Amino acid sequence: MHKLRDAPGDSEADLKRQIEDLAGGRKVYVLGLGNTDRADDGAGVLVALAVKKLFPSYSYSEHDGIEGIVLDISEKEENAAVFFVDAANLGAAPGTVSIVTRDRIKETEITTHRVAVALMASVLEKAGITSAVVCIQPLRIDFQAAMSKPVADAVEKVAGILSDIMRSKP
Amino acid sequence: MKELNVEALARVEGDGGITVTLDGKKVKSVTLDIHEGPRLIEQLVKGMKPEDDLTVVPRICAICTLSHRYGALRGLEKALGVRPPEKAQLTRELMMLGENVESNSLHTFLLALPDYLGYPSAIAMLNDYADDVKRALRLKKFGNHVMAVTSGRIVHGENPVIGGFGKYPSKKALEEIKLKSHEVVPDAVRGVELFASLEYPTYPEADMVFMSVNGLKNKFGFAGESILISNGKEVDAEDYKKLTNERVVSHSFAKRSLYQDKPFTVGANARLINMGKRLDGQARDLFREHFNERWLKNPLYNNLAQAIEILWSLEHMPDLVDQITALDDPPIEQPTKKSGTGTGAVEAPRGTLYHHYEIKDGLVDTADIITPTAQNLDDIERHMKLAAERMLADEKGDDEVRLGLEMIARAYDPCISCATHLVTLKRI
Repeated sequence: MHKLRDAPGDSEADLKRQIEDLAGGRKVYVLGLGNTDRADDGAGVLVALAVKKLFPSYSYSEHDGIEGIVLDISEKEENAAVFFVDAANLGAAPGTVSIVTRDRIKETEITTHRVAVALMASVLEKAGITSAVVCIQPLRIDFQAAMSKPVADAVEKVAGILSDIMRSKP
Repeated sequence: MKELNVEALARVEGDGGITVTLDGKKVKSVTLDIHEGPRLIEQLVKGMKPEDDLTVVPRICAICTLSHRYGALRGLEKALGVRPPEKAQLTRELMMLGENVESNSLHTFLLALPDYLGYPSAIAMLNDYADDVKRALRLKKFGNHVMAVTSGRIVHGENPVIGGFGKYPSKKALEEIKLKSHEVVPDAVRGVELFASLEYPTYPEADMVFMSVNGLKNKFGFAGESILISNGKEVDAEDYKKLTNERVVSHSFAKRSLYQDKPFTVGANARLINMGKRLDGQARDLFREHFNERWLKNPLYNNLAQAIEILWSLEHMPDLVDQITALDDPPIEQPTKKSGTGTGAVEAPRGTLYHHYEIKDGLVDTADIITPTAQNLDDIERHMKLAAERMLADEKGDDEVRLGLEMIARAYDPCISCATHLVTLKRI
């Protein structure tokens, strides 16, 4: 568990190192999930939109149709790593960031009329593509509420880390 | 007294569960419990301008967002005396085809299919049916694309407005849809063949009543001015309350509907039963090949009906694109009155959806939205109770009964988020 806000210093560097380790020498894709109508639930989408400004062909959000993007990536036959970014209830302090690797994504499909992240990760895995979920702990997910300060800070930091890593790729 | 529970019904939209109450081996009741909270949309839009209502009501659901928008448009335009241009009507038809492909492909391949193939989920299915999982993603992607081109974005597009479209899709974008629709037809054909090859358990079978819109111009379609009932009757959509007769039950945050005091079913199988003779192309051929009398009794055939609708939607797109591109972009038609009433009846992927409005002095005075899942809930429970009784009489174990009931509920493709858009609940 990485606590960007509670432990500035080591933890942010740890998070970056963990993402770098997962990415290895591969091309990195960022896929932002969530609903921007629901305050902190839109964190993943905002991360993806921020990264998209720098890497338009490698960062996508719900607005682009994530399932279709996953299908395209899985059929490209390129050496890639995919990072889903999503608000997730980790039972931690708001703004806490944690990486959940493919083997730890819960495979239960409850309340979904969208394609489950676990299925998208499995499709990628079958194509030999590494994936993980960058989870951001929300404070509130009320309709039309403003994003909370700790989550807004986490969005900025996660977008910065991912952009730095992508910048270093060939 | 024993209870057999499915606490959280998986692979449906929203939060619901199933409770079977047993007295010895006798089934006392089977309830589809809706846990999702009330959403009060109809009260929320009261006093709003019609154009603001049009932005709010599609938020009822991110899956059938365009059905809600189209239903609202049809109701509001009638109330305001707006006759949308032909190009707008055709473009709205195209957006509905996109939503049908998007929603039905997800439901059939990824949510319903694992039940029949003996897998707990599409993830588990991936090792043996990877091509079919990818087919679902490909079809869903294309459906999403059509929705984005026509409505402005994948979810909650704002482009369809009262009196027309903010901006009509470009000829280039429409021609691309025409081209790509041909490319994914084989995926849809495979879907029909796959669902036609499945074994559909007989446990839930019973006589059913089906309702759907009567498609515009007496064609197969997803909007209409009247409602067809499988008993041979036809009712004007403005008289929808005579069909739905909504009421509240204590175990559910969603309202219920009965027609002549009996449950009824809306959805893809209802559409094919009422309008299947109007299909054309391969969809017609495959429907004729696979339709049988069991469709009239068994709700599980809704899955096969959805697969046929995906194919029909794709086959219908090129002709629709040709009709749209032959027309110039018309201006947005303006309201001719500030007060009036109107009902929009459309076919969301999971069944008939009504949006009724009363507008007074340019503001929404009354809104009444009746969703397909709310109409289906009584029939879902009826078929689950029958199945539970028959399965227990056949000495089936608890797990098998649970799965059997889940399959019935899932076959209806229930959208619990939609069904709980409003509640008037009395607890005694």
